[in-house]
Amino acid sequence: MLTDILESKKALFADGVQTILRGQENRSRSVGFLKGNLVRNLRAETRGINARVCKNGVYGFASMAEYSSAAADSVIAEATRNALFLDSHAPKNKPMAKSYGQGLVPLNRNIVDFEQKRIIDACKRIDDHVASKYPDLTSRMVVYSEDSMDKVIYTSDAHDGHITSPRCYIYVFLNSVTKDGVPIELFKAFGGAGSFEDHFKDVEWMYKDIDALYKMLMDKKEGVYAQAGYKTVVLGGELSGMLAHEAVGHTVEADLVMGGSVASKLLNQKVASDLVSMVDYAHTALGKEAPLPVYMDDEGTKAEDALLIENGILKGYMHNRESADHYEVKPLGNARGWSFSDEPLIRMRNTAVLPGKDKLEDMIASVDDGYYLLSTGNGQADLTGEFMFGINMGYEIKNGKLGRAILDTTVTGVAFDMLKTVDMVSDNVLWSSSGFCGKKQPMPVGLGGPQLRCKIMIGGR
Amino acid sequence: MKEIRKTAEYIQNLLNESKVDKYAFALHEKETREFNADLGDFSLFRTVFGNNAAVTVYNDNKMGTKAGNDFSDEALKTTVDEAVLSAKSAVEDPAYDIAEKQPSEVFHYGCYEPDIEKFFSRVEELLSDIKAQYPKVKILNVFASHTKDHALYMNSNGTDFEDFGGSYSVSIEFSGNDGEKTTGLDYADVTTANLDKPFIDLGSFRVHLESAQNQLNLTSFEGKFEGTVLFTPDCFAQFVAYTLNNYVSSSVILDGTSLWLDKIGQQVADPRITISMNSSDPRIVEGETYTADGYRTQDVDIIKDGVLKNHLIGLYLANKTGRPVTKNTSSDIVIAPGNDSYADIVASIDRGLLVGGFSGGQPGTNGEFSGVAKNSYYIENGQIKGAVSETMINGNLGDMLKNVKAISKEVVCDGSMVIPYVAVNGIVISSK
Repeated sequence: MLTDILESKKALFADGVQTILRGQENRSRSVGFLKGNLVRNLRAETRGINARVCKNGVYGFASMAEYSSAAADSVIAEATRNALFLDSHAPKNKPMAKSYGQGLVPLNRNIVDFEQKRIIDACKRIDDHVASKYPDLTSRMVVYSEDSMDKVIYTSDAHDGHITSPRCYIYVFLNSVTKDGVPIELFKAFGGAGSFEDHFKDVEWMYKDIDALYKMLMDKKEGVYAQAGYKTVVLGGELSGMLAHEAVGHTVEADLVMGGSVASKLLNQKVASDLVSMVDYAHTALGKEAPLPVYMDDEGTKAEDALLIENGILKGYMHNRESADHYEVKPLGNARGWSFSDEPLIRMRNTAVLPGKDKLEDMIASVDDGYYLLSTGNGQADLTGEFMFGINMGYEIKNGKLGRAILDTTVTGVAFDMLKTVDMVSDNVLWSSSGFCGKKQPMPVGLGGPQLRCKIMIGGR
Repeated sequence: MKEIRKTAEYIQNLLNESKVDKYAFALHEKETREFNADLGDFSLFRTVFGNNAAVTVYNDNKMGTKAGNDFSDEALKTTVDEAVLSAKSAVEDPAYDIAEKQPSEVFHYGCYEPDIEKFFSRVEELLSDIKAQYPKVKILNVFASHTKDHALYMNSNGTDFEDFGGSYSVSIEFSGNDGEKTTGLDYADVTTANLDKPFIDLGSFRVHLESAQNQLNLTSFEGKFEGTVLFTPDCFAQFVAYTLNNYVSSSVILDGTSLWLDKIGQQVADPRITISMNSSDPRIVEGETYTADGYRTQDVDIIKDGVLKNHLIGLYLANKTGRPVTKNTSSDIVIAPGNDSYADIVASIDRGLLVGGFSGGQPGTNGEFSGVAKNSYYIENGQIKGAVSETMINGNLGDMLKNVKAISKEVVCDGSMVIPYVAVNGIVISSK
């Protein structure tokens, strides 16, 4: 982990500008077995320092791939030069963003490293288990992926601190073919925030979930194409989390709001059914530590929850310090950068639809002709709130009962239209946290939600 | 910072002392200068000094890689030690290997040293051109950067490649906006080796900006039908990437799930389709010079005149399967143009869509895809009727390449690929 060599550099911060100095190390560990072959065996670290200097509303930024006192001096000087260049070539003459107090945010968690051999052995053990228990698979893959951010941050007029965010996952992919020879695949991610030993001290606990994954794959083997059209569906928690992040979350990031997103004219208006509430949690969610807790952002803002939708009414956006000033609200810690060479952008943290009171079995029983959509491989949305999620596991619902599995398909809709069709919300929340959000830079994010009954466009034949 | 050759010598000495069977390493020393503009105004000027060292060790038929960006002696020693340890921890597989010795070469391409003042002026001009010529376009972000990269690749067989490369790249994110309505986001980017022309005239910037304005004029149709989709070059590139990933990439050959596993030499596409990785094409600004395995890159046809010529086979996969190595690991895609003009192709479509973007899940290994047609227009009786929203397209990657209706003679060169418009029959198009 990084040792703090930056505190004394605050003395170099110039007057009349806002300065942030950030030392950062990103660590990754990766192992992959494809059908028993070790195809990936990688350890990597990137480390460096950046400085961001704001002068009259324009920013200079500089970073160097070196974590040293000299590098800190250099990036402060270069970032200042860059800010002066822009201030002279493209002046904005804006006041500095408001300060909400200073202080020190304590280290939240240590990052613990483990030998590559332990990681390889764990993956090999899982791969051997899958190969011996399910010899009929056409292919299989076991992938370990670990990434962590370790940041030491000093600011001229906000909080300072040392914060970390390690996470690690083992992905298990299972492949088969349908009776018509159509290749099919399912995967599941195991793990979460923390280090290798927090999740994979032993791996046998994963086997029952791998059994369940195999059963679903066998269901999918007999699967049918979904009927394309506008259907009543029950979205699984993984999908409602994706909805919260992609279809709503991005449209309420303040930089995209200013860019004209659909949410820009809907503040304090009805955007969803009364049953829908949504929050971007900072570090604690629904009484527990959030999947990927954030205690302070990269502008030195202490992280707090951001209420987005309350009982169907759009209540707020997510901000950095500059956009919070523009909208005259308090920033809540959403400005984050992925690596030492990245400037902080407005990013989500742990975005979720809040649970309701319904039971999943009642929700399924209430659908005459529709689908129960369980898992997704990816999702995208844009400024209009139009979204697309790839569906890789789901079942038909016929007369209130689950029917045949469906093959891969896609669902789409416009978020603030689709959310108005939500008429049942389950009482549990499923979180996922293994993915990256892409917005110029990658960023680990958590997303979650309950099952939702709603109407949606589904692709198919 | 240490000179990159000295860093290489230091790593080489450490690896030689470690007595491993084989090794390869790549070093990069990069400098990036980037202007960001938000909502049409400059907001940030960024300088990034970056290094990277990736060391791969092969010992006792085992392989391990360690990468890092710290070029201090102590950190480089740790990098080498951990690469050796990772290899020791791995499982044995005699297929791990590096390319045989290649003749040493030094490559120069693009524009190594930037002209920052002129670059700033060109970006300023782009912002002003968009405001003046496309008044219904709202710019969200512009990322304009120059990166220079001094790279070295060396291995224990004696290969020594050195690169001096640099280029300007400009990426814009924007939407159509008339004060009342907003369209979906659109993106366009270009890479260039010089600042001779205004950016707005490069790549497909004008096509995208025009499209963003036209997206404000919505039309609609009901239900679903099987029709013709005319893909823009940028969108077709996305489908080519899906196709390569699904049918010819190393993972689907290794696990045997590719539907084109045994189709080398067979017709897999319309005879007018030729898809190549042409890294030496002068229209590609920073074409690959050497592969990940240490071979000098060659231009490679994946599909020529509709016939599958090559899978994407690295050395490991070649040793596993006995298939020949494909000496190109780039995405420097060049697709042969056709004989029809874009206008004639539109005029020939009875019913279908012009599709400028696709938002969909990664198609399954069977090639089935379904997703939302973005930045798209409804075509009827040879005329573009208007923009569509909430419209899905479904089809199959393999079938698509066989059902080609026409390929345009116009191509888009954005500095990283060369691609025409391609019209495909038999796509299921559905609307809410």
